[in-house]
Amino acid sequence: MTIARRTLLAGTAAALAAPHIAHAQSAVTVRWWYHFDDPKASPDALVASFEKQNPGIKIQAESIPWGGGGDYDTRLYTALIAGNGPDAAMVKFQNMPRLLEMDALAPLDAHISTWSARGDISDDLWKLHAAPDGKHYYLPLQYVVLYLYYRQDWFAEKNLAAPTTFDSFLAAAKALTTTDRWGFGLRGAAGGHDFWATFVLGGGAKLQKGGMVTPAALAANKWFIDLHRTHHVTPPSAPTDGFLQTINNMKAGRTAMTIHHAGSANDMVAALGDKITAIPVPQMPGVPGWTTYGDGSNAVLAASKNKDAAWKWIAHLSTAETNANFAKLSGQLPVTNSSLKSWDVQPRRFIDASAQSLPIARVLPSTTQTADFTRTVWPQTTQKALLGQISSDEMMQTFEKLYFG
Amino acid sequence: MKRDTSFPLLLLAPALALTSALVLFPAAQTVWMSLHDFVLFRPKSRPFVGLANYIKALQDPVFWEGLLTSVIWVVVAVGLQFLLGLAAALLLNRSFAWRGLARALIVVPWALPSVIIGLIWTWMLDFNLGLINELGVRLGLLVHPVAWLSEPGTAFAAVILAVVWQGFPFFAVTLLAGLQAIPGELYEAASLDGAGAMSKFRHVTLPGIAAVITTALLLRMIWVANSLDLILVMTGGGPGTATQTLPLHAFLTAWSGGNYGQGSALAVILTFLLLGIVIAYLVRSRRA
Repeated sequence: MTIARRTLLAGTAAALAAPHIAHAQSAVTVRWWYHFDDPKASPDALVASFEKQNPGIKIQAESIPWGGGGDYDTRLYTALIAGNGPDAAMVKFQNMPRLLEMDALAPLDAHISTWSARGDISDDLWKLHAAPDGKHYYLPLQYVVLYLYYRQDWFAEKNLAAPTTFDSFLAAAKALTTTDRWGFGLRGAAGGHDFWATFVLGGGAKLQKGGMVTPAALAANKWFIDLHRTHHVTPPSAPTDGFLQTINNMKAGRTAMTIHHAGSANDMVAALGDKITAIPVPQMPGVPGWTTYGDGSNAVLAASKNKDAAWKWIAHLSTAETNANFAKLSGQLPVTNSSLKSWDVQPRRFIDASAQSLPIARVLPSTTQTADFTRTVWPQTTQKALLGQISSDEMMQTFEKLYFG
Repeated sequence: MKRDTSFPLLLLAPALALTSALVLFPAAQTVWMSLHDFVLFRPKSRPFVGLANYIKALQDPVFWEGLLTSVIWVVVAVGLQFLLGLAAALLLNRSFAWRGLARALIVVPWALPSVIIGLIWTWMLDFNLGLINELGVRLGLLVHPVAWLSEPGTAFAAVILAVVWQGFPFFAVTLLAGLQAIPGELYEAASLDGAGAMSKFRHVTLPGIAAVITTALLLRMIWVANSLDLILVMTGGGPGTATQTLPLHAFLTAWSGGNYGQGSALAVILTFLLLGIVIAYLVRSRRA
């Protein structure tokens, strides 16, 4: 009798606990790595809405320091090698070759082909996000296109037209440079390769064997270096100016032009109001222009044991309203057409400048050299050329050697 | 009678185990990595390459630039820290009002984390918003603001200035302790012999703190030679490679470039270069 009672009690307890056990077994936790430029921005609301819709999935969102991109990438690689990588992570094109070399990415094509929201992202973006092997490992999440900020009030005072060519850009930069104000806020520290690419890859240099040392490429690079060395239209601190300095100089009325994207538009308007506007970067007649497409994607990591749940989460972030809410947090632009139509987070002139820049938007090649180039080789070599320690031709020879041996 | 050494060894075992785990194992792993083509993002292929990483490092002009930068960095920074620290210690050894407060305040730079010090100096030296340019221009000492961290010479001077500010309290406090240990009778005897202030300093003070000076100099040389945090925060080794010391070169090669094999080879070379100072310190400690 005692045994029977115990059995009954045990059975009752098991029956009562069963739903909880079933729930605990089916609930999975997806670790997701992210970064926002604004450290105060938090994805908690997005996580809460997702978890409400998907009660079996918990999202553990982990903010990872960006450190110019290099720190984030290295942390991701080391975590993956240590077997402690996240299930999903925000990624950029520049780390795709290395992640592919590590077999760290899970292909998403099977999910994407049956994804109902696929059509809300433009075909151009899908093409841009394809890996060299034709598969899709990255799911578009947000983007920016670099454009040229300029002080329209100063241009009006000097009766200058908006600079659309290299010549008119240089003429305006010279006209607007005084003893304590400079025509162009050049970024010589890490990240400044985007500035360089606009004028050098957009000025005749090509990222193909021998393409960096052609007469046209060398002339374009000399023109770029001469902005600082010969024409002095950039602040003396330009060789080491980074993101903060170039943006702060523009906001403080120290520079008349600089290059950045819609992510800083609201900050600029808060400081300068209608005095500032943006247009696509200048182009050289007869040469295809170049501005940097700043990608932002999510990927599911191959080592994840919760790939389906991770896909659900990243797909959620790239879907219509959620994608718009995410972009509001990051300060960048949403990738979904439905969100872009009514996008009013930044003033319209900056969205228009971004859209008008898309035809010349490019990315550096998806090779392992690109990471070295952007993180160390470009800043170190360019700083030496800007300071006159090496010639502009030697600078290009260094880049040619890095990419093509 | 043979002494039983097992019990002392047993007592030392936890410390030895901890040292092995935290020092010997990482050191051995660094040597192992330096002999392999160990690239972080190529986990499937890490072939043994012998001394290739060392040969490549020694053939790289950046290595020799970094070595020269390191030598200047250590000699100038430690030298200035010592002179400033000695002057501060002599001052703090005299009686004056608020001496206790002065002694407490002088350790503030030493107590601050290097990253904070780096950020403080970076912003003070900033071309556009920096306090130093603002004061310099307002006081008429500068005609125009100077881009201190953007020119090789001034950038190197700036990081040395920051590390001197950070490190001189170590010398001040250490030498002050040494000064306080010199018996007052020696100064009285020197006075009776007609010694002036300089003679007392040369023949009583300096010999009295010679041992402390040597130990402090050796320790500080090792620390400064190894340190990279301040330079990393202030200049990242730039402009170009003007402030890139050997440890920073090793760090950037491994961390930013993902090339742990090459970075480890640089770290091992640096270790051998520092071994001379370390041995001198160990010999000195043993004698003491």
